[in-house]
Amino acid sequence: MGLTKALDRGRETVRGRPLILITWLAGVLLALDILARLAGVEIALAAGRSFGGSMSAAQFGNLVWNGVIVGLIFGLAGIGLSMTYSILNFANFSHGDLLTTGAFTGWGAALLIAGWGLAETGSLVLVRAAGGPSPNEIGASVIQAPIAIVIGVVVAAVATVLVTVAIDRAVYRPMRDRGGIPLLIASIGVALALRYVVQFVFGSRSRGVTATEGVRTTVAGVGVNLHELTLFVVALVLMVGMHLLLQRTKLGTAMRAMADNKDLALVTGIPTERVVTATWVLGGALAGVSGFLYVLERGTIEFNIGWFLLLFIFAAVILGGIGSIYGAIAGGLVIGLVHEVSLVWISGDFNAAAAFLIMILVLLYRPEGLFSGVTTA
Amino acid sequence: MSDAAGDDRTGDETDVQASDGETDVQASDGETDVRSDVDANDVRARTDPRASAPEDAILRVRNLDAGYGDLQILTDVDLDVGDGEYVTIVGPNGAGKSTVMKSVFGLTTHLGGTITFRSEPIHELPPERIIHQGISYVPQSDNVFAGLSVRENLEMGAYILDEVPESRIETIYDRFPVLRDRQGQKAGTLSGGQRQMVAMGRALMLDPDLLLLDEPSAGLAPDLVQDMFDRIDRINDDGTAVLMVEQNAKQALRRCDRGYVLTQGRNAYTDAGDRLLADEEVRRKFLGG
Repeated sequence: MGLTKALDRGRETVRGRPLILITWLAGVLLALDILARLAGVEIALAAGRSFGGSMSAAQFGNLVWNGVIVGLIFGLAGIGLSMTYSILNFANFSHGDLLTTGAFTGWGAALLIAGWGLAETGSLVLVRAAGGPSPNEIGASVIQAPIAIVIGVVVAAVATVLVTVAIDRAVYRPMRDRGGIPLLIASIGVALALRYVVQFVFGSRSRGVTATEGVRTTVAGVGVNLHELTLFVVALVLMVGMHLLLQRTKLGTAMRAMADNKDLALVTGIPTERVVTATWVLGGALAGVSGFLYVLERGTIEFNIGWFLLLFIFAAVILGGIGSIYGAIAGGLVIGLVHEVSLVWISGDFNAAAAFLIMILVLLYRPEGLFSGVTTA
Repeated sequence: MSDAAGDDRTGDETDVQASDGETDVQASDGETDVRSDVDANDVRARTDPRASAPEDAILRVRNLDAGYGDLQILTDVDLDVGDGEYVTIVGPNGAGKSTVMKSVFGLTTHLGGTITFRSEPIHELPPERIIHQGISYVPQSDNVFAGLSVRENLEMGAYILDEVPESRIETIYDRFPVLRDRQGQKAGTLSGGQRQMVAMGRALMLDPDLLLLDEPSAGLAPDLVQDMFDRIDRINDDGTAVLMVEQNAKQALRRCDRGYVLTQGRNAYTDAGDRLLADEEVRRKFLGG
């Protein structure tokens, strides 16, 4: 009885939405392919293609770890995007450039501390805009200058918060009641302005900033990149911190209340403008730190890194269910993992497409996103 | 849990019948009175909104013009609520009943006239300042934070206080025992009646002097409507003045101290609730005979 019912329902789904069946089949096939590769089984197919192959567990583990690392960046940055969406009701296209802002200000501070006396102050604060001593000479890494990295994180957060709140006062607050579309379009303008201010101040050259000496090491027999590990720990701590703030504090509860029902928040006596400012402060700080950590992990900095990340962050947030911070984190991890693990089959030029494809497929299956219904700021 | 709620309801039903009987008697008494001596004084009392106003009114609305943006809804509205009084506003759809209430709470565009609360002018204040004055408002729909737990909803009601007043939460739980059982549950998962209790509980967190209720019976199952009116009676009995807008005009007038009939954004009639209920003209025009 139960079985036939389940079969009936399955048949209906397949008939109504065959794409879902194809997606599941493809997913199962790819999973089997990974297992076959890990087991070293290779079955030759037509046209020189084959099923399975060989891949060491370490190679695969490496891809997964890389996926988690970029996923944490997407997720951490996505929290702020998701919060501003649910509390202020608009998709903030300048969020990516807030990451850039955090990256440049934070690394300016980090290089200034790490390279004090090695080069002119201006050259260090401008994150080696015109060259100067090499990153390894400056020695900005968690091994050689941990204090510089910590200060960099703090400065990235503080500077981005200041920029974010200033932008809100100047641009978004005056048009708060005009609805999501005008705000969205304004935010595209803000994004462009912010990016080109950064380019004007810091230059458009892509350059290295982190020292590499001793960053790759072995801990208990496992090779680790200490910068990735730093990113992992800081991102996790901040995510847990956000969870506690939203669930345990009065401000967090008020933020969730406002995300839920703005009109009611107003008549309940919640100071809505103060909650909005708190939202920008938190979202800006997380964006700034994400930008800083992203550069720590990749080693190079450029004025458009945030803009390129923005689409992935949006994908993560939409996939997870816009408005939920847990959705943003989960979505970020899914997008990150797909982005990296897809390298098993496709070249690095196309893996971004795989990440967006998985977003579209999930949305076809669950249009509200993974964490829909979990209305948590 | 459900048992406790069930018991509670049975208790209320007995109350309803008792009070219903009482009011009916009064109402029919009033009817004979009105019919026997219709004089000029009575007519004046019914149509002059200030005539029946208590002298110790805590809320005074005078010559209020208000609306939304350029759209004027209210013209020259007068309304008073005495200390601890229970006042209802009735009238046809679109008469501006809810707009009066929203104006008191600073949610409309003020176009003229004055609103004073305990002699302080409040018509220029935003809602968050008005809450500090001792007025709370329960909107008609969407009046709970669906994603927050019952307890968090109550806590938000006391946001302006530095600390969550535990004793106040206990008082609310004593008033609505089912909320104590459900305190960890998300408000969005509750039934309509329970949500209305959360909404009222939230508004009562600051122990307001005046509670504004916008159609508390809207969307409730018929058997819960009586229950809701009983709860409002008890809130009022404990000393909180109530200003209520109701579609369910007969019920509301039967239970309140005084009523205002509003038509097309203006005062039409004002009198004690049972007298309005007994008034031929009011009955014919607004209460469906």
